[in-house]
Formats: sequence, structure tokens, C-alpha cells
Amino acid sequence: MASIPTALHLPRIRSLPPLIRIRFLNAAAPPNLQLDSFSSKLVRLRSFKIRATDDSLDTGDEKNVEERAGIEVEGNGVHPQRIALSLRASINTLHAPFLRLKRSNFGTKYSLGLCIALAAIVVIVVRQLVVRSRSRERQGSVADLVRRGQLRSDRRGISKPLRYDDPFNNPLVKVGKGDSTVEMFGKVYRLAPVILTKEQQSSHQKRRSQVYQWKRPTIFLKEGDDIPPDVDPDRVRWIPANHPFATTVSDIDENLARENVYQKQGAPFRIRVEHEALQRKIEALQNRQKSNKASTDPNGARDFGSPINSKPQEQLETNPSADQHHGQGTAKPDSDEISLTDELRNF
Amino acid sequence: MASSLHPHSLPASFHPLPHLSRSLIPRHSNRKRSTPIVVRSVLQWNRKPELSGETPRVVVVTSGKGGVGKTTTTANIGVSLARYGFSVVAVDADAGLRNLDLLLGLESRVVYTAAEALNGDCRLDQALVRDRRWPSLELLCISRPRSKLSLAFGPKALTWVVDALRSRSSGPPDFVLIDCPAGIDAGFVTAIAPAHEAVLVTTPDITALRDADRVTGLLECDGIRDIKMIVNRVRTDLIRGEDMMSVLDVQEMLGLALLGVIPEDAEVIKSTNRGYPLVLNQPPSMAGLAFEQAAWRLAEQDSMQAVMVEEAPKKRGFFSFFGG
Repeated sequence: MASIPTALHLPRIRSLPPLIRIRFLNAAAPPNLQLDSFSSKLVRLRSFKIRATDDSLDTGDEKNVEERAGIEVEGNGVHPQRIALSLRASINTLHAPFLRLKRSNFGTKYSLGLCIALAAIVVIVVRQLVVRSRSRERQGSVADLVRRGQLRSDRRGISKPLRYDDPFNNPLVKVGKGDSTVEMFGKVYRLAPVILTKEQQSSHQKRRSQVYQWKRPTIFLKEGDDIPPDVDPDRVRWIPANHPFATTVSDIDENLARENVYQKQGAPFRIRVEHEALQRKIEALQNRQKSNKASTDPNGARDFGSPINSKPQEQLETNPSADQHHGQGTAKPDSDEISLTDELRNF
Repeated sequence: MASSLHPHSLPASFHPLPHLSRSLIPRHSNRKRSTPIVVRSVLQWNRKPELSGETPRVVVVTSGKGGVGKTTTTANIGVSLARYGFSVVAVDADAGLRNLDLLLGLESRVVYTAAEALNGDCRLDQALVRDRRWPSLELLCISRPRSKLSLAFGPKALTWVVDALRSRSSGPPDFVLIDCPAGIDAGFVTAIAPAHEAVLVTTPDITALRDADRVTGLLECDGIRDIKMIVNRVRTDLIRGEDMMSVLDVQEMLGLALLGVIPEDAEVIKSTNRGYPLVLNQPPSMAGLAFEQAAWRLAEQDSMQAVMVEEAPKKRGFFSFFGG
């Protein structure tokens, strides 16, 4: 501890309590510490200085301290015996708490408490960090999931499957031990019974049947149309002129549409019809082409029966310069025929 | 209102499930209880639901008001029913503004619609989009977003579609869920045409309630008597502060049986954007669990006998500060 250097050591107390030693210094020196209990006496004794020093080597209990307490008075003290007594009493009151602390193994407990506090702080900080990191992970936005590679933006809905297998055993839901509580996700909810009776339901139905008179519309007419004679006017829904579907005209035959919906196997109606129409067109074109060939080239008659792979086309592919050399010697395939043939091949 | 609760006035058809009765019926103890409340749990996790009613069950999910969660409800209940093992066909009856394919994440796989099947461009089974996650779930869109279906043709067409599904070679589906467009226009008329029962989705606010009441009246006029409601986007904290109508208030105003109560959940918008239904979330969310319960009741033609009306503060332990 700090000490004040001085040449003259005035009243000096030896064998003070182990932690503190007080020295009376020269009257000229300013006081560093004034103790309330004996300040009035110090006034009479002129001013003196108290210096506290740590004497770690001195060990012993209070009794020994009292026995060993002795006062050396150097200088011009007035009543050294009385001063010593009062000072001893004051010192005893001062150093009692320190003695108690030392007796109860103060240092060990202090360090233990400090360790516990530090450990608690570390636990809290770590927990907060973990919670924050988890909350960051649970963002769940599409961009976040794509950034973390859990979701491919171009394959929504068929990405990583998130399924929990047993919906009937959920640990996050606990029915309370009591009568009417349920704990879900850490929160406790109180259950209250539903009190709607059949009578109340029927009274509500009666009220609504009086308030709302409605028939489902079966016919939709535009403003200005006439109501057909066999139609109930209550079942007509008038379409306003600015309705987005007001101009929609149904070009679907209802019977045909019904058949289409009920069709279970085979090609769909329109696909089949289009296919047949396409085939008829091709056949007609080929017939026309063959008749033209027959009139110009009798050898072309052998190609009947293979309408798609026609010889002129093959000749054209194998000998592209045939046109230039032979002029009209080979029939140039019709562009319609080529496209139709390709479409047919695609089927 | 909710204040007029009578704990003993349960419906006469109250039959607590055997596996739940043990924990929910008040025990006889030495200490006398003044008002023992007997409630049936809203949560039934112990067994698979049993399908009741004649198949296919044609259910229209409607509301009147837009934005209350019809499509979300259709998607999640459809997936839940498929997970329960039922075959489901979800029909998006919104001709102009379809969204069900987005919520199911199947938008890139929709090639044909019911309009093409009617037109003869494809067969009906080719227009059905099978979900790869749950193959017992199929999606059918009624038309392309920009195509125009004749207004008068819609109701007949959807009725034929449902009839064709009923008579298909692979067997009729257990459920046909029809996602109804908002409003009471031609789309509504189309969607309700083949339905035998209805699920009315509403939120606990007066605008949705007025539309819901009107739609309920129209459904009843059309002959659909089996109507149950789902109260969506419920916030128990607002109800506790009397800033939102409670579920029992809503029920008292509409007089409909409760199929489910869906709490407000941020996971809904996330799952919508991801194209992954909420009920498939891992870990499950509050709203997902509520949808599963609603699907459970729909399959069994059951209704809720108790609702969660208040959020009680959980007792926190001494070490709760440390996460205990």
C-alpha cells in the first residue's frame, strides 16, 4: 500500500490488527484519514496523520491482537495512555469487519462467485447467439431459401420434401392434465365449450331464408336480350355490358362437351378429328399429285400405296440439281405436302 | 357474446372420444370444485380420421369476401386429407384468377384444364395434375387465366366434371374440393353447382361476417344445408384485449357449426410464397396444425366442441432466464 515517507516517526502502533497498521505522524503533515470515532480527541492532540499499511505477515485473531497491542509514543503526546486506549477501541471497531471477512475465507468465495457470474454471462451470451442464428435460419423467404440452396427457384413445389410422417403424434401439442387447457408451442390455451345449439342454428337458418330470397341462375343474358318463354325470370342472371365475359360466345356444343368430359380412353375428340382431317387432306393432295404424275410420267404409278415416302421427294433429296438439269422432269413437291407430312410424322 | 358462456350447456350429441375422455373429464377429488368445466379437446392426434358420408364428398370452399383465405384453406385441407390417406381432387373454380396451383406449387405442371377437356383437346384424366409429394392429391384448374368460358356454361360443365370423376375407371375420389372465387357472381354460381356441402371461410371482422352471412343464405337457398365455417386469422391477444371478435362471437352471429379456428401465423405467407402448403412445414406451425384438425373434422363430418379463447400465461421456472 502507499506509504508516506517521513523522517520522524511519531506515535507508532505496533502489533495492530493484521490488515491495518496506523502510525501517528508528525503534526505538520496533513491527515490522510480521519476516523469519526476519535476525531474529537485528535483535535485536542493536535493534528496527526494516520497511515494504514498492510501487514500480510501478521496473522492472528482479535484476542492476540488486543494482547499484543502496544503503543509507542515518540514525541510530545499529552496523555499517551488514554490516547492508546481510545485508539485501540477505535481500531477494534474498524478492523472487526475485515477480520470477519478473513475468518470466512473471503478470497476463495469471492473468486468462486466471480467464476459463477462469468459462467452465467457466457451461457447467456452463447444462448442469445444460438437463438439469433436459429432465427436467422428460419427466415423462410424464397430468396433466403434459394440463397441457402434449399430451394431451386425454377422448381418450386418439387424441391426438398418437407414432410413429417406421423401427424398423430405431435410433441408440440400437449393436452393439459387438468380439464380444459392445451399447450401448443409453449403457450397454454384455455378451452371454452361451444354453446351453439340446434335451436339457434335453425333460428339462424329461418332468419336467412326470410332475408335472402335467391334462386341459382340457370341462364345468363346480356342487357337487351329477351327472356326465353320457358325460363323462370328469377333464374336469369343479367350480365352487365362491361363484364369481362359479356362478349363471350359459347361455340362449344354442349352434348359434344359432355361426351368429351366423359371420355376415358383413346385420343381426345378434337385431336382425333384434326388428325383425320389432316390425313384426308394429305391423301387428297397425294391423289392429286399422283394423277398429275400419271398424266406426265407413267412410271410414277408404282408409287401408289406409299403416300408419305414419295419418290419425287427422295429424288429431290438425293439429287438436288435435278431440277436445274431436267427442268420439269421431276415433280417439285408441294410445300403444303411437306409440312403436312412432317406433322403427320410427328404424330 | 362470449360472456354468456354456460359450461354445462353442451350439445346433446356430445360424446367424448374414449382416448380423450380420461384427461378431459374432471376427476373426482376431495376438494370440491364449484364449476367443473367439461370440454372436448380441439386436438385429436391419436387416430386417423374415418371417412363418413357418401363418396365423393363434393365440398365447396367459399366466403363471399375476398382475401379471407379460401385458397389457402383449400390447399391445406386438400393436402391434409391426402396425408390422411384419402384421394382428393382439388378444383380451382376461379376461371379468371386462379391461384390454387401456385399454393400447391404445381403451376409449372398445369398444361391442360377442364376447358380443354370439354373442348376435346385432352381427356379429363390428362387435365388432372397429380401432386408428386402426395399422389392421392390431384389438381384440376377449370380454365386458363386468360381464356374465357361462357358464363352459362360453367355450372353445367363443373357438374359434368364431377360426374365424370365419380365414374372414372380408377374409382371415385373421396373428396372433391372446389375453391370458389370471391363474390356471388357467375364464378360462385359455377362453383356451388355440383357441391353437396360447403365450408365457409371467414375472418372475425364485420365486413367478412356480413358477406359470409349473405353467402350462407344463398347456399341455403340453393339447397346446400351442410355448411360449416372456418374462422381464419384469429389473434388471441387481440381477443383478450377485446379488440377482435372472439370465435364464439362469430359463431353466435352466423349460427354455423365450427370446422376449425386458424390462428394468425406468419408461416402462411411464407408457405404461400414457397409454393409449399403449410401443413407440410417442418417443424409444424400453429396454423398448419389447425388446418389439419379442420381436415380431420371434415373427414368425420365432425365439428368443434371447444375453442381456445384465451391465452393463459405459462408458469415460468426459476431457470427460465437461462432458457429452462
